[in-house]
Amino acid sequence: MPFRIARLPLTLLVLASALTFGSGCGKRTPALANARPGEGGAGAEGESATQARTHQLQEGPDVRAIGNEGASGSDIPGGAFTGEGGPLADIHFELDSAALSDEARSTLEKHALWLQGQRGVRVTVEGHCDERGTVEYNLALGEQRARATRDYLVSLGVGQDRLRVVSFGKERPLATGGDESSYAQNRRAHFAVGR
Amino acid sequence: MVRIPERFRRFSSRRLELAAFVIAAAAATLAAGPAVAPVAQQPPPPPQARDTIIITGTAGRWALPDCAPKRPDEASQAACRTISQVLRADLRFEDLFQLVQDSLIGAIPPLNPQAPKFEDWKGIGAKYLIGVQAEATGSELTVEVRVYDVDSGQAMMQRRYAGKPDNPRSFAHQASDDIMALTQNKGVAKTRIAFVSDRDSSKERPSKELYIVDYDGFNPRRVTVNGSLNLLPAWRPDGAAIAYVSYRQGSPQLFLAKIFEAQSVANLSGEKGDGQAFSPAFSPDGKSLAFASNRAGSTDIYVAGADGSSPRRLTTTQANDTAPCFSPTGQEIAFTSDRTGTPQLWLMDADGLNVRRLSVGSGNWNDGCAWNPAKQYSEIAYTARLEAGGFDIAIIDLATRQVRQITEGRGSCEYPSWAPNGRHLVFSCQRNRRWEITIADRDGRSLQTLATGPGNNVYPDWGP
Repeated sequence: MPFRIARLPLTLLVLASALTFGSGCGKRTPALANARPGEGGAGAEGESATQARTHQLQEGPDVRAIGNEGASGSDIPGGAFTGEGGPLADIHFELDSAALSDEARSTLEKHALWLQGQRGVRVTVEGHCDERGTVEYNLALGEQRARATRDYLVSLGVGQDRLRVVSFGKERPLATGGDESSYAQNRRAHFAVGR
Repeated sequence: MVRIPERFRRFSSRRLELAAFVIAAAAATLAAGPAVAPVAQQPPPPPQARDTIIITGTAGRWALPDCAPKRPDEASQAACRTISQVLRADLRFEDLFQLVQDSLIGAIPPLNPQAPKFEDWKGIGAKYLIGVQAEATGSELTVEVRVYDVDSGQAMMQRRYAGKPDNPRSFAHQASDDIMALTQNKGVAKTRIAFVSDRDSSKERPSKELYIVDYDGFNPRRVTVNGSLNLLPAWRPDGAAIAYVSYRQGSPQLFLAKIFEAQSVANLSGEKGDGQAFSPAFSPDGKSLAFASNRAGSTDIYVAGADGSSPRRLTTTQANDTAPCFSPTGQEIAFTSDRTGTPQLWLMDADGLNVRRLSVGSGNWNDGCAWNPAKQYSEIAYTARLEAGGFDIAIIDLATRQVRQITEGRGSCEYPSWAPNGRHLVFSCQRNRRWEITIADRDGRSLQTLATGPGNNVYPDWGP
């Protein structure tokens, strides 16, 4: 479950903008530095720049933190509840399939027991795929995997309101190799734990 | 940026809205920012020349001697070198112009662009002659381009371009498109390609952001700055906005980046709860937005207004229906469905009726349609698994249903998108564990990697 920072006071945002002016520009540089010599971003800074700035501060979307999205949180085997990742091990899938294997079901049964003892915990079930599929099909397949996983946990008595599903398709592989072992690790449902 | 003589002047000047970007970047460093960095304004397409001879076809050789600096200073000479190089590359790219060899041009006296000795040019086999002059004065670059019919000695085009000297490439791109217009073709030299890259990703915060780059790989600029996953860009046909998928709010949702205003609209299709949306595609008139959503349980195709309003569900199977693309008329939609077991291409009318299968017996996985926007080419490019293992780009002719394979042995390629004139395709290919943007012409004879910069570069969408 992504953590969210409440809407920051306008003054704080302005202050932060001023403070990070230098680093903001610095961060931008790598993207621009790839331009060939002689390629400046053309054009003049006009009044539109100021307009856009004002507009953005007043009407820009809330500032949000990005929560755990995939492989960033690693599981801690047998550990106590530690926030992201937590004690819920990934389950794995066959190629191009969202069906739960016997092994996956058995793992999910343990997860359900754990979740029933941790009433305050909410879990985002992430569906992931290996890289051997097209991007959009994998987004749909990952959603099916997450949904099948969620549905089984619900059938075991975990409240549906504690479970969210998100598909990451092939965008957040755990293993980056181009071999069967990497692919097998990446065809997974991952459990991002939050309160 | 490029200013056209009085009678052609309909352009707004380009602007770089730096201050707005800084706000965006600053907010990004705080958490996940307002998502979009600004991009310099691009002028609308050039008006057609009215006072010119119309060339039917491009038969006959074109002579393009080096640009002549109007002043001897280094700035004018440097601008001239760039303009010559870029204009040649632009005209060669379309593969419509046969250029006279440089060695032949070197054998005759240099061109006087305002009073050519046409017999010289006729002598080396030129039918058309392009004279280019440039003059850089500190704050302004002026470029004059003249196109002559060598036989008649008549000027077919005489244009002066003036603007800031920062980016002489844009002058050449404008001139190339104007020359293409002379031949009744729509040029793409000023077009840009949106794509996704992990080049600014870090271990602590793995991200994929949106970028745009000139069609020739120059001038890459970052669009999103939110540090999340941003995928599957789709240009709005007016070129002022890009719809894309972002995980900024946790799950995949459609966003709209207004690239000149450094603003983004979140969750365009209004997904709730576990709803996720992806595969944005605008209709050619820019009024409708098709996408895939799981809001009704299974993933289906929806069509809404361009602002995401009034979504209608078009497919109703329990299968995965994804990746819609509109026909050039906007009256049909192709999409991917695995309703028969494997992902295949299907067609339907834009109201969801008259569903029929398109891909038959050509591979066990067909996805990612891109309908050629040029009406004279009735064809759809897509991603196909023709053999076990990787994917290739293929094109199916809608009249004959014949399939031609565009890529072969370039690793795995996917996600094709057409140039606005339908003469080239862009897609991404993975070779040696790295994804790069690749461009091919529509018969697959020439393929080139677009050097957009470091990282894995994927999911290109060719803009207007």
